[in-house]
Amino acid sequence: MTKSGPEITRRKILTGALYGAALLGLSGCDKLFDRLQQSRRIGALLDSAESASRRFLRLLTGRRRLAQEFEEKDISRYFKPNGNPPPLENEYMADAKAGWPNWRLEIGGMVERPTRLTLEELKGVPARTQITRHDCVEGWSAIAKWKGVPLARIIARVIPAPAARYVVFHCMDRDDNGELYYESIDMRDARHPQTILAYEMNGVPLPVEHGAPLRLRVETQLGYKMAKYIRRIEFVADLKTIPRGKGGYWEDRGYEWYAGI
Amino acid sequence: MNDIVYRHNRVTRATHWVNAVALMVLFMSGLMIFNAYPHLHWGSKAEPAEAFFSIYASGEDGEVRSYTELYGRRYDTTGVLGTQNTDMGPLPRAFPSWITIPGFYCLACGRRWHFFFAWLFVLNGLFYFIYNRATGHVSQFILRPRDVPKLLPMALYYLHLRKTSPQDGEYNPLQKLAYTSVFFVLTPLVMMTGLAMSPQMGVAFNWLPAIFGGRQSARSVHFILAFAFALFTLGHVMMVITTGMINNMRSMVSGWYREKFHVATAVEAPVPRAENGGADDKERP
Repeated sequence: MTKSGPEITRRKILTGALYGAALLGLSGCDKLFDRLQQSRRIGALLDSAESASRRFLRLLTGRRRLAQEFEEKDISRYFKPNGNPPPLENEYMADAKAGWPNWRLEIGGMVERPTRLTLEELKGVPARTQITRHDCVEGWSAIAKWKGVPLARIIARVIPAPAARYVVFHCMDRDDNGELYYESIDMRDARHPQTILAYEMNGVPLPVEHGAPLRLRVETQLGYKMAKYIRRIEFVADLKTIPRGKGGYWEDRGYEWYAGI
Repeated sequence: MNDIVYRHNRVTRATHWVNAVALMVLFMSGLMIFNAYPHLHWGSKAEPAEAFFSIYASGEDGEVRSYTELYGRRYDTTGVLGTQNTDMGPLPRAFPSWITIPGFYCLACGRRWHFFFAWLFVLNGLFYFIYNRATGHVSQFILRPRDVPKLLPMALYYLHLRKTSPQDGEYNPLQKLAYTSVFFVLTPLVMMTGLAMSPQMGVAFNWLPAIFGGRQSARSVHFILAFAFALFTLGHVMMVITTGMINNMRSMVSGWYREKFHVATAVEAPVPRAENGGADDKERP
């Protein structure tokens, strides 16, 4: 009980601090978090969770495990075409109507053999078909059947330099300000067996609203990583060199680059 | 001063307050995330017509009204849920800004708060658990089969329908039920349903979303559990207030608690334990 002496003063201080905190909380709790949100240091602190999640989840996953594949009967009746409106320029629409005679997939960057492929040539590569669940960052999920070329086959064909760490997808769709969509994934997800460049959805050619003629499927991550309307694939060593430096359209707007959670 | 007892150790006090902040941020940022898609579904996918719970706004004759729908029953919640009154008039928003983090609409921000505090919540909880497991404290609030017959008498005692408390340890049977449910049911479930929504986790363990009936079911259960936590916290705070707020708060800040009436059932109460024939000896380290 010799402790009780100093204990009282500490108790007083702590109680005072507690009342202060409570008062602060009551006076502007919502404003407090909004203000903290604007702080760069708080932002950086919160961001530290992203790499923790990525490391932890990938440690659990390993490299060979597959996302759940569903059956035909599970396919969604409605699949929300999210994101930018389709690129409605005459050039795009005319090409779409004609079955993509002018569209080419350009593959370049840090690769030994840069390549240009027509849609027909892509369809000639052994394909993978999968019925998988698409999880949007907003919270909804939809199931569809996708057919396309495993990205790993493209990687094997173009032979990236050992220093190439990311695959960047440059797209044809724009936001209201005319800014082009782009996305990136790292080589680990790029080589995942279910990562495909899809040209078919539910047994028909990829509809315009879902990214015709070619979109990405990365089943380990959320929907915003799965770039639509792809026109060019670039292998890079660093994401800082591409448009705004965060590795994707939504990443430039505050979303996590790692969207596996 | 001889009736002041040391009730909560340093680790318990520190982790308690970290946990309080983490739960608050998780709840509020979770509602921000929910606002991005204010509908709940059962199963793997979200078929728009099949939501069992929805908050939505609709324009009617130039007026914005909002509704909350549960299993087809529709309630007008204009100005409370689905719309929020602002300087610019009512705006569509599922949960109002005063209960979300951040207050302004920002899904990306809500996610960053949520995941950071999810890590904090789990690591803090683990620290508490490991430390207090070692001190033997944890075993004192675990509900055991022999506590079950004492639950009803304890409830009756609380309701003033019974004169004596059936409490025989540091925690009474209802406290044991509450803490055991929160620690060993609610917390693991909220973690599992949260992780079940991660696409990467779904790849690692296909069974994880499946045990809840699919990813959308996991999301719905996660949402419901958040309110179970809120309900627990509300009950907890009410108990703190009604059983002597200053004294309780002091004990969770400084560790020291002033005993008034229940000396026999308090922390330093070896006497009743001895009378029980040492039945509870195993609970002590």
